Amino acid sequence: MVLDLLANGLVYSSIIVLGSIGLSLVYSIADFANFAHGDTMTVGAYSALVTFGAVGGLGGAILGLPFGFFVALVVGIAMAAVVAVVTEKVVYEGLDVGSIGLLITSIGIAFVYRAVIQMGFSSDFTRYDIQALRPIEALLPYGVRVTEHDVAIFVSAVVLVTGLHVLLQYTDLGRKMRAMADNPDLARVSGIRTDRVKLWTWVIGAGLAGAGGVFLGLYGRLGPRMGFDLLLVIFAAVILGGIGSVYGAMLGGVLIGMVNQLTPLLSGVGALVPMVPDGWGIGLEYANALAFLIMVVVLLFRPTGIAGDGEGT
Amino acid sequence: MSVLSDPKGYWADLTRAEQGVLAFVLGFALLLLLGLLTGGIGPSYFLFLVGLAGMYALLSFGLNAQWGYSGLINFSVAAFFGIGAYGTALASASSSPLAGGIPPIVGLFVALALAGILALCIGIPTLRLRADYLAIASIGLAEVVRIIILNEGWLTNGSAGVRGIPGFFEGWPVLETFPETMPGVIVSFLPGPDIVLGTPFWRALLNVALVLTLVGICYLVLRRVHRSPWGRVLRTIRSDEDAARALGKNTYSYKMQAFVLGSLIMALAGVFYAHLNLYVGPGDLNPITTFYVWVAVILGGSGSNRGALFGGFVIVAIQQGTRFLNEFAWIPVDVAPLRLLLIGVLIVLLMRFRPQGVLPPQRELIWSSVVDDAPSQPDRGVRGSKAGESDD
Repeated sequence: MVLDLLANGLVYSSIIVLGSIGLSLVYSIADFANFAHGDTMTVGAYSALVTFGAVGGLGGAILGLPFGFFVALVVGIAMAAVVAVVTEKVVYEGLDVGSIGLLITSIGIAFVYRAVIQMGFSSDFTRYDIQALRPIEALLPYGVRVTEHDVAIFVSAVVLVTGLHVLLQYTDLGRKMRAMADNPDLARVSGIRTDRVKLWTWVIGAGLAGAGGVFLGLYGRLGPRMGFDLLLVIFAAVILGGIGSVYGAMLGGVLIGMVNQLTPLLSGVGALVPMVPDGWGIGLEYANALAFLIMVVVLLFRPTGIAGDGEGT
Repeated sequence: MSVLSDPKGYWADLTRAEQGVLAFVLGFALLLLLGLLTGGIGPSYFLFLVGLAGMYALLSFGLNAQWGYSGLINFSVAAFFGIGAYGTALASASSSPLAGGIPPIVGLFVALALAGILALCIGIPTLRLRADYLAIASIGLAEVVRIIILNEGWLTNGSAGVRGIPGFFEGWPVLETFPETMPGVIVSFLPGPDIVLGTPFWRALLNVALVLTLVGICYLVLRRVHRSPWGRVLRTIRSDEDAARALGKNTYSYKMQAFVLGSLIMALAGVFYAHLNLYVGPGDLNPITTFYVWVAVILGGSGSNRGALFGGFVIVAIQQGTRFLNEFAWIPVDVAPLRLLLIGVLIVLLMRFRPQGVLPPQRELIWSSVVDDAPSQPDRGVRGSKAGESDD
């Protein structure tokens, strides 16, 4: 049972990590809490849905996913990035309202994204047209129930995150982004074209969010609220890891994803704690609530997060 | 100089924005009146709308006391609204899994007490946080409240919600039976079909009287509070917390007081809603309510009570107005996303073109008695003040 929960935790964490990196990047470089980030994930998911409907079961298949799905994934990433860049250019760039004003604006943007998706696809849930798989036989003796799709989500997330790591550590753009996240003013006076770096940040952050959204649709199902419902969990991950730190966001994402999936272990907690009735426990329905409580506790006692740099307060 | 004795002078003394708002409100009222007279809007439904607008005005007042006065970014409005509604519902409803059957007036105080406790539970950990962290933490805690109400069926009936809530005046002398005892009036001299003013109409009239009383009391209290020394400290905290602290003020304590005050007013709105709708469910705690109220406050102008009133009015116009679009079959889109789109676009346009709101508070930075030549019309004059700009 624990192994199974851990395995599912890894898969769920992959999605959370993809979402939290972008949120953290934008938080540190554009300097506001982007409430539209969850709906950017939804944009990616629905773009992939449309693309997959068009290209269908193209060619062969990897891990139970037709090649067409990977085309759809790329389109989902691209669309999320394009939408984010257009929003930045049209809305955020011209605003002079401080970080709180930007936060409130991003709520409006989130509504616009969601409303447009809902107009196009109705508010009903839908799925990718891919056959659901049975759990992998070889792992069943260990009590682990994961499908090849879950493995594909995990592997793709690892590839994307590794790619980001290489970009941040070994390329010129990555160095500039790190410099800007550290100290935007210093970055500007040392000749970095900060607006260009900012734009790339949006592209990368939203692109990863788009990928997260595509996988979220594959993991469960698609609905116009799917990204927004995940947003607070992603915030919890980002804050736990330390706002502004990409590696912190990865770590926080893994931890929050794990806590989320491991919550059923707490269902027997009533038997262990005195003064609490035996049958009482924390079920899966409280998984998100637990993440939010962790978030508040972290904010209280270590607002810079576990990997933060001390700038958070 | 009042409206009646010198309407022209009154008009000229208003700012452009105030003139615009006044014209808009008058025009809208005229339109509604026309709808009433021609039978397009039923009189009970019209009163229901007024009640709803009053409810949003209460919510905006509450948020205004927190964000407009003291700069607290509270994103848990829905939780306080919900706790107010659930508090009175669980006390008075016939299907309440707890006590039930308690008179609604007691339920009101139960709701207020619960909201006060919840305000302390949310405020104590979060009010020390930086502005944007406070926003995220408070919306997270509001979701925790919603999840608890959704899942603890023994306490709240879970997702089924609470039904069988009595009207607010149940158990009151005279008022309880007022709607039934009033004679049905038939208005037939108007163009259009006859209008029947029956029991539902009188019941709705009672509800409107209730909400107008609540709004009136809150408005007076808040105006008083805003101009008191206490309100002055809050304004100082909003504009520069370090300065307030340097003056020896316990800013945490002041923020907490403002937070509790605002939360109680939001709970009052919840109480009214429960007795208006006669049903509450976990859906009433969805974060969307919080965002509606935020739009109302920002639209009206942070810190301005008149603005909050206006904002609540516009929110109801958007919410209920989009319903009428259902009647036009040629509009290809569903109404729910259209409403969402309107709200979203409204937020973006506001932040882009008028972040201080339509009716920003205009005298807040000035000692009120200095400019108070006309105490009956306190909040006008002094143009171009930038107070209420949303910045941290």
